[in-house]
Amino acid sequence: MIRIKKVDNRELNILEKIYIIEIFKGFMVTFKHLFRNLFHPSKIITISYPEERIPIEGNAGKRTMHRIKIRADGTPKCVACMLCATICPAKCIHIEAGESDKKIEKYPEIFDIDISRCIMCGLCVEACPEDAIAMDTGVIPGGAYDRYKNIKRDGLYMTKEELFRNLIGESPSRKGAANRLANEEFDLEKNK
Amino acid sequence: MMDSVYGFISNIWLNYKYQLLFSAETFLKVFIFINGIMALTALLTLGERKISALMQDRVGPNRASIFGFAFWGLFHPIADGIKLLTKEDFVGDRVNKFLFTIAPIIGMTAILTCFAFIPFGNYIDLFGYKIKLQIVDIDSSIFLLLAISSMAIYSPFLGGYSSANNFAILGAIRAAAQMISYEIVIGISLIPMIMIYSSGSLQDIALKQGDLFMGLIPKWGIFLQPLSFLIFLTAATAENKRTPFDVVEGESEIIGFFIEYSSMRFAAFMFTEYVELVLISMIAITFFFGGWQVPFVNEAGISILNLAIPLNHILISLMQMAIFAFKVAVFSALLLTIRWTLPRFRFDQIMSFCWQFLLPIALFNVLLTALFLMR
Repeated sequence: MIRIKKVDNRELNILEKIYIIEIFKGFMVTFKHLFRNLFHPSKIITISYPEERIPIEGNAGKRTMHRIKIRADGTPKCVACMLCATICPAKCIHIEAGESDKKIEKYPEIFDIDISRCIMCGLCVEACPEDAIAMDTGVIPGGAYDRYKNIKRDGLYMTKEELFRNLIGESPSRKGAANRLANEEFDLEKNK
Repeated sequence: MMDSVYGFISNIWLNYKYQLLFSAETFLKVFIFINGIMALTALLTLGERKISALMQDRVGPNRASIFGFAFWGLFHPIADGIKLLTKEDFVGDRVNKFLFTIAPIIGMTAILTCFAFIPFGNYIDLFGYKIKLQIVDIDSSIFLLLAISSMAIYSPFLGGYSSANNFAILGAIRAAAQMISYEIVIGISLIPMIMIYSSGSLQDIALKQGDLFMGLIPKWGIFLQPLSFLIFLTAATAENKRTPFDVVEGESEIIGFFIEYSSMRFAAFMFTEYVELVLISMIAITFFFGGWQVPFVNEAGISILNLAIPLNHILISLMQMAIFAFKVAVFSALLLTIRWTLPRFRFDQIMSFCWQFLLPIALFNVLLTALFLMR
């Protein structure tokens, strides 16, 4: 909506031409702010960022830094089907598949996420058929000196080492078709 | 051998006792006074940032910390100093190196010399030795003060002239025009004060402001000459090149005479501005706010109407110095707020305001005061 502000272009009257009274009016305004902010510093709206944070609104707060869940046998749940890399609108996921001699043959040899390009849309989590990728670590990414360095070394680039992990205290998930097969194999081996 | 050395020393002491005492006293006064001014100036640089922040609903500097303690940004002046000292001291290829180097020094020296004439107390009687609380007390100190402070305009002009930069020389021309114009107004605005107190010594002027009107209102210059005070304040702000009159620098848009300066050379210009602010507030206090006079306190002690409480002499002297420091701090802070309240004048407005408005009013004020005194 366009707002119209009418500018008052009238001539100055004699009191305004003397200017001293107008100066005092100006001082009244600035001193009002000065004393209000001096005696009520909490009313200043500035947030000192690393120490204070605004809680993120709604479901956006639930989408945080990525991770890949891990099975009971220590392999990633990901089967390198490339669905997340395909759906990613920012094209920030890079996967190269590898082959193993286990029952679930395909696994990700390379799984990189460039967090500096990620738009935190959560589509990769929606697309994943194996429930492998998740955005539930609670870490909000941001603030680094080099986007191509590893995230552990003050960068924004995540590789397998940082991605493949279970949350602390979380037992390995048993959901997903491929996961069930892999777990059956693992249980057989364990009982042998 | 030891005897002769001891005899030699005691001989010097007996013959030159007063000279030696005077040198020690003056050295001590200069050391303490100048260091106090430097500390106040460093705090003013922080104060300016903090006050402007509060006026604009911001938090202001609060990040420089030692072991995690920031104290509302108290270490920022130190951080600024370290930063400016460790920056590259760049001197352009075509600059006149001699003038380029002495330009900031001239301004700093001229302004710091002026503090010698400011009385910061009456006197202290220590074991029969009378210490005047003023570095130099001569009858023409007001004229010397104005003359030496005028030297400060060489600083921006030579700085801009020697930089071999078109923007710098334009800034230097603006600076010279503005500062010379307002120099005259400052001088004329102080003439009524000299007429009223009939003395050119700043100590005399401060002493004469200790009397009371009808036993209640202190006889300060502001109550005798409010017009003179307003003219002086305006002209002094212009002389200091601060915001309503800051087209010389115009920090945010048009860069002024110090465009080619970096590191400590630039810091000298910046620091001089704040030292000049302290000088202006000290002159204004000496002339218009009673100098070191504590209201209702005279040589003997407190006296209001018929009430009289005698006080120790040393206590009164310390009280006078403390109230002087307090007045200077408050007035400097008030001068800082002017910058963050008033918008900038155009350059033609600055010049016509000086020559067509302030100067006639100042002259008229001199005439009016003369008629009043003749009556």
